[in-house]
Amino acid sequence: MEISEKELIIKAQNRDQFAFEQLIYNYDRAVLSIAMRYARDNDDAKDIYQEVFIRVFRGLNKFEFRSEFSTWLFRITTNVCLTYKTRKKEQMMVSLQNEFEDEQTGYDSVNLISEEKSPEDQTLGNDLQSLIGEAVDSLSAKQKMTFVLKHYEGYKIREIAEMLNCKEGTVKKYLFDAVNNLRKKLKPLNAYQT
Amino acid sequence: MKHNEFKQMIQLSLYGELSESKHAMLLEHLNFCEECKRELEYQKNIMMLLSESKKLKVNEELLKEARFQLRGALRQHKADGLSITSIANNLLQLFSTPPRLAFGAITMLVIGLIIGSIFMGMEKVIIKENGPELTNASLIQNDMRISNMQFIDSDPSDGEIEFTFNASKQVHFKGNVDDPKVQGLLTYAMLNDQNPGSRLNSINVMDSYKKVTLDDDVREALVTVVMADNNQGVRREALKLLNTSGFDESVKQANLYVLLNDSSSALRIEAINALINAAKSGHSLNKEDINLVIQQATQDDNNYVRLKSKSLLQEYN
Repeated sequence: MEISEKELIIKAQNRDQFAFEQLIYNYDRAVLSIAMRYARDNDDAKDIYQEVFIRVFRGLNKFEFRSEFSTWLFRITTNVCLTYKTRKKEQMMVSLQNEFEDEQTGYDSVNLISEEKSPEDQTLGNDLQSLIGEAVDSLSAKQKMTFVLKHYEGYKIREIAEMLNCKEGTVKKYLFDAVNNLRKKLKPLNAYQT
Repeated sequence: MKHNEFKQMIQLSLYGELSESKHAMLLEHLNFCEECKRELEYQKNIMMLLSESKKLKVNEELLKEARFQLRGALRQHKADGLSITSIANNLLQLFSTPPRLAFGAITMLVIGLIIGSIFMGMEKVIIKENGPELTNASLIQNDMRISNMQFIDSDPSDGEIEFTFNASKQVHFKGNVDDPKVQGLLTYAMLNDQNPGSRLNSINVMDSYKKVTLDDDVREALVTVVMADNNQGVRREALKLLNTSGFDESVKQANLYVLLNDSSSALRIEAINALINAAKSGHSLNKEDINLVIQQATQDDNNYVRLKSKSLLQEYN
């Protein structure tokens, strides 16, 4: 008999490691996907993934079923993403003071697999993806998060508002501003495509 | 309505987030507004461009790596004091209602003192690869046993790996069961031994030697075990021993906690029996406690627990 999500949560709250894993494996692909889209770096995405589930593990006892587990989880995910760059900058400042070598200059491209494309198309696509990725990176943290969740992950505006703990109108504004900013950044490409 | 608002509506429409009425309004506007028609085309183009990187899926290998690393991190997190956290969380849940805060604070203080006294002088040892403390010879000479090896970093690509393990040496101890040192060791085992059999034995030793008087530290440790141990058998023996050690506020709260939270119906029945016996001996429950018992009397999955809860209420009425 398949065990319900609520039962899994209760078991996980009682420190049942197997139940915890079963529970998070229903969502961890989506969490990693958001992290990859947001961070555009494998190691950063794995760091975000780990941070999210450590927070879930620590906080699960306080989860009182007042919202869907997924809403709570994705709220944690967006929080971790939004604060990740700040924390990383702080870590980098410390690390730069200590060591100034072994710097890897190569861009660690996003480890996502493109579907239905020939190798040639993929090469062209990767360049385009890099440009789009850089443009998305230049958005403010909340605009970027909103854009990633809506455009790439396909969440409803209502769901994004729950994740970001704000009003739907605010999400619409972030999204509108995000797309407008991307439009400015990608103007040459856009003109070429038209 | 301003153009800017229609522009936002165009975007929402492309994302399928526009209501029917607003969609109709937008279409009507597009019939005569050239500027918004151009905007629609621009937005379609930008969406198409941005969708170039849309058809993607997560790399399975990366997901596997992330899961593997998470498992390691969780194990490390657990080793760094999960048991203490879990106990604290359970206690916090128990003491979440205002009348219990005072009792909670006192119990936490006492448990803190127990744990403090147990761990006094102990410190976490971090041994680096070339540290003088650890060599093969010293491990053999000291008859040290190594167990529970867990990798924090098992990737040797940078030349280093990192792991934790338990290094233990057998100690022979003989003493009177009334000796505070013996009770301290048994209490420590009861709270911390990884083997449930050892935790159970520690409780049973104190239970079987009926002359032994349990001091407050041991009783508070038993309360902790009753609420936080993950093994049902250990919780049950701890509850039995606790209930024979005299009924007071902390024992009452422990029994109420079991009645309301424990997954085992046998333990819930054990707790009701203890509360009924206490009622017969003249102890009372306050209004809030009675409300909790009423809740249990109507909601428990187990018929017998519901029946016994009703009997308990009759005893207190």
